[in-house]
Amino acid sequence: MLFRMIKGALIRQWSKMLLIALTIALGASLATSMINVMLDVGDKVNEELKAYGANIVVKPKASSLLSEIYDVEDDGTELKQAWLKEDELGNLKTIFWAFNIRDFAPFLSISARIGEETVSVTGTWFNHHLSLPTGEELDAGVRSLRSWWDVPDGDWIDEQAPGADREIMVGAALAERLGIAKGDTITLTGTASEASVTVRGVFDSGDSADEQVWVPLDLAQSLAGLEGKVASVEVSAITTPDNDLARRAAQNPKALSRADYDTWYCTAYVSAVCYQITEVITDSAASAVRQVAESEGEILNKTQLLMILITALSLVGAALGISNLVTASVMERSREIGLLKAVGAHDKAITCVVMAEILLTAMVGTAVGYFAGLGMARFIGRRVFGSSIDIKAVVIPVVAVLISLVTVAGSLPAIRMILRLDPAEVLHGSKA
Amino acid sequence: MSKRRMFLRMITASLLRRRSRMLIALLSIGIGATILAGLVTVYVDVPRQMAAQFRSYGANMLLVPSGSALTREEADAAMALIPDEERVGAAPYRYVYLNMVRRQQSFAAAGTDFEQVKRTSPYFKVTGRYPEGPREVLVGKGVADTVGARLNGVMELTWFPPSEPQEDREEDFDILPGMTLTGRAQGYGSREGFNDNPVYVTFTIGEDGMIASLSVDTSSETAGVGTRCSEEDFTALFIGKDPKDLVLGRDVDAVSGATVTSEAVVRAIMDAKPVTEESAVLVPRTINYTVVGILETGGEEEGYIYMSLADMGAITGESDRLDLVELSVSATQDNLERYAEEITSSGHATARLVKRVTKSETAVLGKLQALVFLVTLVVLVLTMVSVSTTMMAVVTERRREIGLRKALGASDGAIRGEFLGEGLFLGALGGLLGAALGFVFAQVVSVNVFGSDIRFNFWLLPITVIVSMAVAALSCLLPVRRAVAVDPALVLKGE
Repeated sequence: MLFRMIKGALIRQWSKMLLIALTIALGASLATSMINVMLDVGDKVNEELKAYGANIVVKPKASSLLSEIYDVEDDGTELKQAWLKEDELGNLKTIFWAFNIRDFAPFLSISARIGEETVSVTGTWFNHHLSLPTGEELDAGVRSLRSWWDVPDGDWIDEQAPGADREIMVGAALAERLGIAKGDTITLTGTASEASVTVRGVFDSGDSADEQVWVPLDLAQSLAGLEGKVASVEVSAITTPDNDLARRAAQNPKALSRADYDTWYCTAYVSAVCYQITEVITDSAASAVRQVAESEGEILNKTQLLMILITALSLVGAALGISNLVTASVMERSREIGLLKAVGAHDKAITCVVMAEILLTAMVGTAVGYFAGLGMARFIGRRVFGSSIDIKAVVIPVVAVLISLVTVAGSLPAIRMILRLDPAEVLHGSKA
Repeated sequence: MSKRRMFLRMITASLLRRRSRMLIALLSIGIGATILAGLVTVYVDVPRQMAAQFRSYGANMLLVPSGSALTREEADAAMALIPDEERVGAAPYRYVYLNMVRRQQSFAAAGTDFEQVKRTSPYFKVTGRYPEGPREVLVGKGVADTVGARLNGVMELTWFPPSEPQEDREEDFDILPGMTLTGRAQGYGSREGFNDNPVYVTFTIGEDGMIASLSVDTSSETAGVGTRCSEEDFTALFIGKDPKDLVLGRDVDAVSGATVTSEAVVRAIMDAKPVTEESAVLVPRTINYTVVGILETGGEEEGYIYMSLADMGAITGESDRLDLVELSVSATQDNLERYAEEITSSGHATARLVKRVTKSETAVLGKLQALVFLVTLVVLVLTMVSVSTTMMAVVTERRREIGLRKALGASDGAIRGEFLGEGLFLGALGGLLGAALGFVFAQVVSVNVFGSDIRFNFWLLPITVIVSMAVAALSCLLPVRRAVAVDPALVLKGE
């Protein structure tokens, strides 16, 4: 009988029930899309912030602010310079947070001569292909670490193209001073050897690199006779904003308690990633580039907080909207409820029938709304970040609980109120 | 009773008598208006607030001298071209090499304004504190590690005058009584890469045209050997001697073991030039500083020693000169480029944009803005649809009333007009309520997320009210029209 009454109500009052289902679907889709976007916005924005370049710099331990501070030419005689080993760089992709390491590039600065002019030459990877022992294949290099460079004349060096080891890129200021243009062939004379190279492109970096020549790492190493050696490595890693624990750990990881140490090691704090890098690269010291790392944390936190508050507002809005409509639809049925009561139905039975109807409608609405919400989240992800928002399963129970709570909260008090009234008055229409 | 009064009475009566339903409709519109006002206020203000957050990446514009040097007035004139409210910070820098004589090492030192540095470089991590008083320095971690500097330790730094000869000096001059002369000559020297700083002498001429007093600076010489040439035992030997005709061994005896330095002193005196108004006395200056902070950045700033511009002026004797001004400007890329052009063409200084910061900021900020825009759009559309479904439900419920009124002879137009009036009234009231609540929400967001007050757009108030009224009216009309179209007898029957 109960089933029949519910079915009857749903079929006969389909237009009213449709309105309820529609509103609930709207609320559910709003909740679904906003919660999904909110949960994923951190990763997405983090990815975008990689445009600022590396947030970790790895240097040899013994060095070496020497050449930076002492203003001493590092010609290898006066000071014993320490180096990193190029063949260890692949190890970066074997650390615990390997997946978070987006890109990295080694650097070797030497000086060489073009004709009579002594210029600073930086050897690096542009898009170096690596085959790791783990079977992973990847391209690493400065192309993404220097996303702000413009190459108005010519092109980036493509290391995978033949002849790339004899190509160079020249900074705009230097190119103008020496009258170098794309396609020119020039001779670079280093301390150990010389090479005839072709200018592949002229770049505008807006910083001191504009006065430099950038060449593939192998070329720089052979010019200076430093085969297999690297002066520093820049690493771009996706990290979690620092908190108290991370700050304590950055001072001295050994001073942490066992549990704290594990938490720290297994969280992608920049200090933890740095620590893990020093574990796989011999005699290295990795430090966070605070200009990038700190700002990243700041902006991530703010964006997430902003999204949380917007989500909260839209959830409250959706919840109020739904419970409001449900209340309205219950009150509208006061005549029917009065009639049921007049013919002798128990309060409990009436509540059951009405609630069951509404909850059934809500379920349909929620299901439709959930999928519509996923579509909306995808749309936002594609439009804004060019990649889909990760769909989190945890959103399903959250939305389901939220909608049921809101529906019950909207309908129960209204039913109670009508039941409390005298059926005669309700039917007469003078109350409620 | 006039028609208008009747109309008003019907609306108010319906609102009053059907209190609970009208409350629901009002609540619904209020929620919609709150979300509209709140989200749009946040959306409009987010670019400004976020751009301010992005200033934590540091300076995005540099001022460098367009000629030989940049003075403070030129820098101020150049900065005046950027609106005050967009200028987050402007840190002036003066770079020189200072020497730690005992360690025979030289370090890059920067004179700056620390209040401004805190704004342009918020990522600086200082253990201890920023210098506040005179003779306090902030030492980069790299420098501190190399020389073993500790917090509150003393650091002795020496400035040597630049060694190029000053060309504007007169070659021919007569030595006159009362004149002060200064000169220099290469001494024993020191390790290469530290400095090639010579021995400096300053002396005055007495009434007799001979040397009346002499001071010798041998800071760059070997401690305990060459430095003995600056002691009075040695300098006293020169008093009363002819500065144009000095021979070591005939007029004065060399300090034993420091012949090279002694010779340098003699050569410096013979080559000395008078001190004029423009040329300062050529003497290295040594000042003891207190290390009040250690700086960590992970970048090359760790290789510098920072001090206030006043201290830098005190040690170099040039208080007005700047090498660079770092500017942190909260503006769009287009505006930044415009400012840079204006400054450069004004001739005060050359402005350069820090591409790494400006380009990345434009990219990331654009994405964030697009995100907030889309989210706002989705939330608004969904909320507005939700508001109108609620309104529709409330009105549909009154089909019976409409039928009754129609049966009593009310025209369709009158009924529509009445419902429209009710909807507009509810829309206006809900809109006002929502606008107020929305602003409260926006303010809460702004304070919690960005820690600053939100900028209210007062034109948003009428817009919110108008949109609310439109949504309410539209969602009233649709069901009313359907109800009006039906035969009153059927409506009253409930079919």
